[in-house]
Amino acid sequence: MCRRSARSGANSLAFEDIGMSQGGAAAPALRPSRFRLLEPAMLLWVALIAALLVLVAAPLVKMLLISFEMQETGEFTFQNYLTAYGRARYLDALRNSLLLGLLSATISTVIAVPMAWAVSRTDMPGKGFTWAVVLAAFVMPPYLGAIGWILLAGPNSGWINVVWRAVTGATEPLVNIYTFTGMAFVIAMHSFPLVFIFVKSALDLISSEMEDAANILGAGTWVTMRKVTLPLVWPSILGGFILIFLETIALFGTPAIIGIPARINVVTTQLWQFFEDPVRVEVAAAFAIPLLLITIALIAVQKLMLNRKGFVSQTGKGGERREVKLGPWRWVLLGWCVSVALLSVGKPLIVLLQASFAKAWGRGFSLDNLTLRNYRFLLFEHDQAPQAVWNTLWFSAASATMAIILALLVAYIVVRKLMRFAGALGFLAMAPFVIPGIVLAIGFYAAYAGPPMSLYGSALLLILAFTARFLPIAYASSQAAIRAVHPEMEEAARILGSGRLHAIRKITAPLIKSSLLGGWLVVFIVASRELSAAIFLVGPRTRTMSVLLYDLTEQGNFEVVSAFGGILLFITMVIVGIGMKLVGRDFMLRRE
Amino acid sequence: MFLIDRRQMLTLAAWSAATTKAWAQSPMHPQERALYEAAKREGEVTWYTGQYSAEPSEAAGRAFTARYPGVRCNVVRTTSQVAFQRLSQDARAGVGQCDVFSSTNGGHYIQLKRQNRLMQFRPVNADGLLPILRVSDPDNYFQSSFIGIYLMAHNTRLVSETEAPKSWTDILDARWKDKLAVGHPGFSGAIGLWALQMRRMFGPDYLVRFERNKPQVGRSSIDPVTMMTAGERAVGVAVPSATTLTSISRGNPLRLIYPTEGVIAALSPSAIPNNAPHPNAAKLFMEFTTGPGLSTAVRTLFNESLRPEVPPPDGSRPLDQVTMLAPSMEEAERGVPEVREVWRELFGV
Repeated sequence: MCRRSARSGANSLAFEDIGMSQGGAAAPALRPSRFRLLEPAMLLWVALIAALLVLVAAPLVKMLLISFEMQETGEFTFQNYLTAYGRARYLDALRNSLLLGLLSATISTVIAVPMAWAVSRTDMPGKGFTWAVVLAAFVMPPYLGAIGWILLAGPNSGWINVVWRAVTGATEPLVNIYTFTGMAFVIAMHSFPLVFIFVKSALDLISSEMEDAANILGAGTWVTMRKVTLPLVWPSILGGFILIFLETIALFGTPAIIGIPARINVVTTQLWQFFEDPVRVEVAAAFAIPLLLITIALIAVQKLMLNRKGFVSQTGKGGERREVKLGPWRWVLLGWCVSVALLSVGKPLIVLLQASFAKAWGRGFSLDNLTLRNYRFLLFEHDQAPQAVWNTLWFSAASATMAIILALLVAYIVVRKLMRFAGALGFLAMAPFVIPGIVLAIGFYAAYAGPPMSLYGSALLLILAFTARFLPIAYASSQAAIRAVHPEMEEAARILGSGRLHAIRKITAPLIKSSLLGGWLVVFIVASRELSAAIFLVGPRTRTMSVLLYDLTEQGNFEVVSAFGGILLFITMVIVGIGMKLVGRDFMLRRE
Repeated sequence: MFLIDRRQMLTLAAWSAATTKAWAQSPMHPQERALYEAAKREGEVTWYTGQYSAEPSEAAGRAFTARYPGVRCNVVRTTSQVAFQRLSQDARAGVGQCDVFSSTNGGHYIQLKRQNRLMQFRPVNADGLLPILRVSDPDNYFQSSFIGIYLMAHNTRLVSETEAPKSWTDILDARWKDKLAVGHPGFSGAIGLWALQMRRMFGPDYLVRFERNKPQVGRSSIDPVTMMTAGERAVGVAVPSATTLTSISRGNPLRLIYPTEGVIAALSPSAIPNNAPHPNAAKLFMEFTTGPGLSTAVRTLFNESLRPEVPPPDGSRPLDQVTMLAPSMEEAERGVPEVREVWRELFGV
C-alpha cells in the first residue's frame, strides 16, 4: 500500500506540478524487435535496477523490518511502536512537527504566489531582481538563515529589537525568534522558492485568452486573478505546499538551533534523542514510519482535491500571452518582493557578515570590533574545517554525478519505453521525493551502517545517501531533457549502423548537455548544504561543512559559525556563478 | 577585575610560545619514544572530545602534531553527550572510529568499563599529574585529562556586581525570571553533572523552581557565555570558567561568580576504546594529555592546568581556595541519564 500511494504521489508532484504534462501518449505495444536490439544494454538495465534497489528500496524495507524487531534478539515485537508513542512528550513532538509543517507551508505560499503571479503575468518592474532574490533564498542553507535570524530577532539582543526599543522606548521586544511562529517564519523564508518555481512555471503556460474571456464578461483584474488565473494553477500551489510541508517536517538544523531555546520538540529532534546511548534504531524507525504514512495520506488528499476538475491550460492551439497592466499597483507588488528580499536574504546576510568579522557581534558595527580572527581560526587553526570544505565539495560532486547518470539512464528507458515495467524504475527514481530526508537517513543507517556492509562513517555511505535523496531532482531534469529530443535523430544514426549506446553518446548526450549540467548543479548545491541525513551518517573523517557548522553552533559561538557560513556561501556562489556562465541565468529554476 | 591588558596578553603569548617550543623539543622518555615510532606507522589519531571547547581543543591537537610530526590529530569536538552518542552509534554499527574518548561526564567511563569497551593503559606521564588527578581509575582503564570549573557569570552592564546572584539558590528567586541562560543535560556532560548535583543538594524541587524562571536553554554549557556577551540574558548558569575568562580577555563585560556553596568541578578522564583503529597513536595521545603538552596548550585559553609545573590560568581562583562539588563517577553513570529525562519532562526539550 505504501508503494502504490507513494507512487501516485511521485507522479502528481513530479509531473503535474513541476509543470510537465502527464505521461505523454499511451505506450505503444512493445515489439520484440526492440527487445532484440537492446541486447547489449541488458546488463546496464539489470545494474540500474540493482542500483535503485540499493539506494531507495533496501533502506526503506530494512527500516520497516527493524521497526518490528526487538533490539539485540531481533524477535518480532510491537514494543518499539509502544515505546515510540508511549509518551506525551513524543506525541507532542509529532503534533509540533505537523503544525510547523502546515504553518511554514502556509507562510511560504502566501509569500510566493503573489511574487510568482507578478513575475509571470504582470508588468511589475524589477523581475530580474525578484528572480535573483528567489535564487539567493534557495541557495542559502536554512540553518544559516536561522542563525541570521537569531542575531536579528533575539528578544533582547536582536538588531530589530534593539532598534525598536531605541526608537520607540518600548520595553517589550517587537519580534521574538524563539517562538513557534518565529521558527515557522524562518523556515518559510528559505522554502518559499519551491512554491514560486512551481506556480510560476504553471502560470507561464496559461494564455491570456482565458483571462480575456473573464474580462469580457465584466470581471476586473483582481476578480480575474482570483477566480480564473489562480484556480487554474491550483495543482501547482498545492504541490508546492505539500513539498514544503514535507521538507519542514524533515528539517533538523533549524529545530535544533531555534527549537531547543524555544522549547519546542519536533520529530527530528526527538529522533536524534532515540540515537542517544543506548542507540535505539528500532524505536527511531517505529517513530519515523508514521511520517511516511502522513506523506502518503497527504498525497492521497491532493489526489482527491484535484479529482474530477479540469486544469487544462495547454490546449496546443497557441494563444498569446500578454502582461497584465497593473498601473500603480505594480509598485505595491514590487514593494512586496523587496520586503521578501530584505527578510529572506538582505537582513540575515548583513548580520551574518557583520558577525563573521566581529570580535563580539553584540558590540555592533564599529571599527574596533573588526577582526579576521574567525576566518583565520577556521582556515588555518581548525583541524577539520578545511577537510570539511573538501569533503563537502567532493561528496556533492560525486553524488550529483551519480544521481545524474542514474537518472539519465532511467529517464531514457522510461521515456523511450524500452523495457517492460520501465515505469517501475521511474517510480523508484522519484520515490525519495516524498520520503523525508531524515527517514531516508535512518533507513541508510539501519541497512548499511553495520555488518555486513559496515559503511558507517565512510564517504561512500554519505555519497549514496545524498544520491538517493536528490535522485528525483536529477530525474525530473533528465526526463524533461530527454523528452525534448525527438527519437528520430537517434534512429537516423542507428539506421546508419550505430549501436544504441553509441547513438546516445554521439547524438542525444550532446543535445541535452546543458540541461543535464543544470540538473547536476542543482543537485550539487542542495547536497552541499544537506544536514538532516548527514548528521546521522557522518564519521570523524567524513564531516561535511553543514555538520561541522551544526557542531559549532552547539557552543553558540556565532562569530565563528557566521564565518564558516560565509565560506559556505562563497563556495556556493562560485558554483552558481559557474553554472550561470555555462548554462544560463535561470539554470536552477528552469524546467523543460 | 580579571581583565588583562595587552602587555600581559603579549607576555602570556610569548611565554606560551616559548614553553610550547621548549616542550615540543624536550626529549621523549623511552615509552613515549616507542609509542611514537609505532604511532608514526598508524599516521593519525581520532579524538572525540567534549571536554575543552573548540579553540583549546584545536590548540591541543596542533600541539600534539607539533611534538609528534607524522601523527595527525583529528579533533572531533562536540558536546560530551553527543560525543558519547557518536561512540554508541559507532558501537551499534560495529565500526571502530574513535581512538581517544574525552567526556566531561565521568559516568560514561564507568559504563564503558563495565561493558568491557575500554583498553587498559597507564601513561608514564600520569605520575606527574596533580595529586588529585594521579589515579583516575585504579585499574587504569581511563586517565585524567581535564579539570573543568563550572560556576556562574553575569553581564556587568545588565546586572551590577552587588545585585548579581551569590549562590546556586539565589537564581531560583523570581527576580531572575527571563534573565538566566543555561546549557542542556542532553548535550553537555557538565550540565548533567550540575543538574544532578543541584538535585542532590537542594532536592528534586530545585529544577522545578529553576524552570519557573524560564532560563534560555542552549545545548553546550558554553552557549550561555555567548548569550551574556550578546546581552540576550544577564546571568549564565553553570558556565565554564575558561570560556568566560577567554571572553573577558577579549573585552566583553562579563564577571565570574563563585557561588557560596562551591563550584561544580568536573575532574574528567579520557580513555581508549578497545576497538580503537590506531591504538599506539591513542596511547601516545594519552601520554600527551597527561604530560605537560596538553596543560601548556590549553592554559593560554584559560583552562586549568593538570600538572604542578604548569601554572594555572590567569584570572581564575587557585583550586585550593574553592570548594569543589561534583557527583562521583558512579553516581553520574545512573544519575545523569535520569536527570536528563527529568529535565526533558520539565522543559519539554
